[in-house]
Amino acid sequence: MNNLIASTFALVWQEAAPGRWQAIRQGVLEPDLSKFLVIAALLFIIGVAGVLTRRNIIVIFMSIELILNAANLNFIAFTRYLQDTGNLNAVAGQVFTIFVIVVAAAEAAIGLGLVIALYRNKETIFVDKIDLLKW
Amino acid sequence: MTLTGWEAAFFWVFAIAALVAALLTILAHNAVHSALFLISTLVAVAALFVLLGAEFIAGVQILVYVGGVMVLFLFVIMLVNVGAEERGGEMLFNRPAQVATSAVFLVLLSLGFIYAIRQGYEGLLIRDNLSMQGQRAEAANRRRTRQQNLRPAATGTSRISEDTQLVGASLYRFAALPFEIASVLLLVAIVGSVMLARTARQEAATDDLETAEGE
Repeated sequence: MNNLIASTFALVWQEAAPGRWQAIRQGVLEPDLSKFLVIAALLFIIGVAGVLTRRNIIVIFMSIELILNAANLNFIAFTRYLQDTGNLNAVAGQVFTIFVIVVAAAEAAIGLGLVIALYRNKETIFVDKIDLLKW
Repeated sequence: MTLTGWEAAFFWVFAIAALVAALLTILAHNAVHSALFLISTLVAVAALFVLLGAEFIAGVQILVYVGGVMVLFLFVIMLVNVGAEERGGEMLFNRPAQVATSAVFLVLLSLGFIYAIRQGYEGLLIRDNLSMQGQRAEAANRRRTRQQNLRPAATGTSRISEDTQLVGASLYRFAALPFEIASVLLLVAIVGSVMLARTARQEAATDDLETAEGE
């Protein structure tokens, strides 16, 4: 726990160590695996924010697509990392990404069918108006 | 694994485009605008896939997501009523307390992610530097020579990627059963969405029941 706090604070207020700007410049000019992971994490967080805060159920579905895409980006980035560190034919991540896309397509079809059925019965697409199971 | 030169420049362009479009997706008032911004995000992520050498997945992403799923989304948006949000009569977000709670949760989540990525990536680098310092340079070299040995395209300015071949071969060699399960899943999804989206009259006709209106 102590380590976690120290590390996050160090991230925000890192004292100007010699060579730090050099390291940042290196990171910007030559983005590596960690940059892809950070981008994917941010996409994931934006998606979770959409799921938690929006009222429109269709936008919530779009946010779920964002979350799945963040996971796909991680898979592809790690595939490239594995290809560059060891086996040139490592494509397991890409194969898995295809399955994620298939499941996302099925989920979108079912979810939008549900939205249509819901709209037909309740005349609303706002999640806080859909409170049939709430007492 | 590092991207250099123009690849690095395009990485930043597409990464920032994806993040900005994703933010606008969840902030847009109009659901159609949300869908268009989501399409921008998906295309930017597909460009990142191309940068990572996954050309086939990038194509699948654009064909399936942008060509299929997003068209479905736009259809549904136009079937249901989204006028209320546009006129400003309806709230865009949940109640302030809920939004504040999720903001706190998300800040904690992002700090946890950054911590995990820093620690995990350092550990990964240490492991790979210890165990395969020589192998890494060799693998990068092999990758480069393989790319130079690819067949040139008809225009002569680029080379034909072998990514599709590799993915297809390992899909059928190592993932044949999941592939079949995925096709069954798609079939179930098709039947299920047709079942869910039919009207009361269609439901009564197929189930041989009387509707409430006595039709």
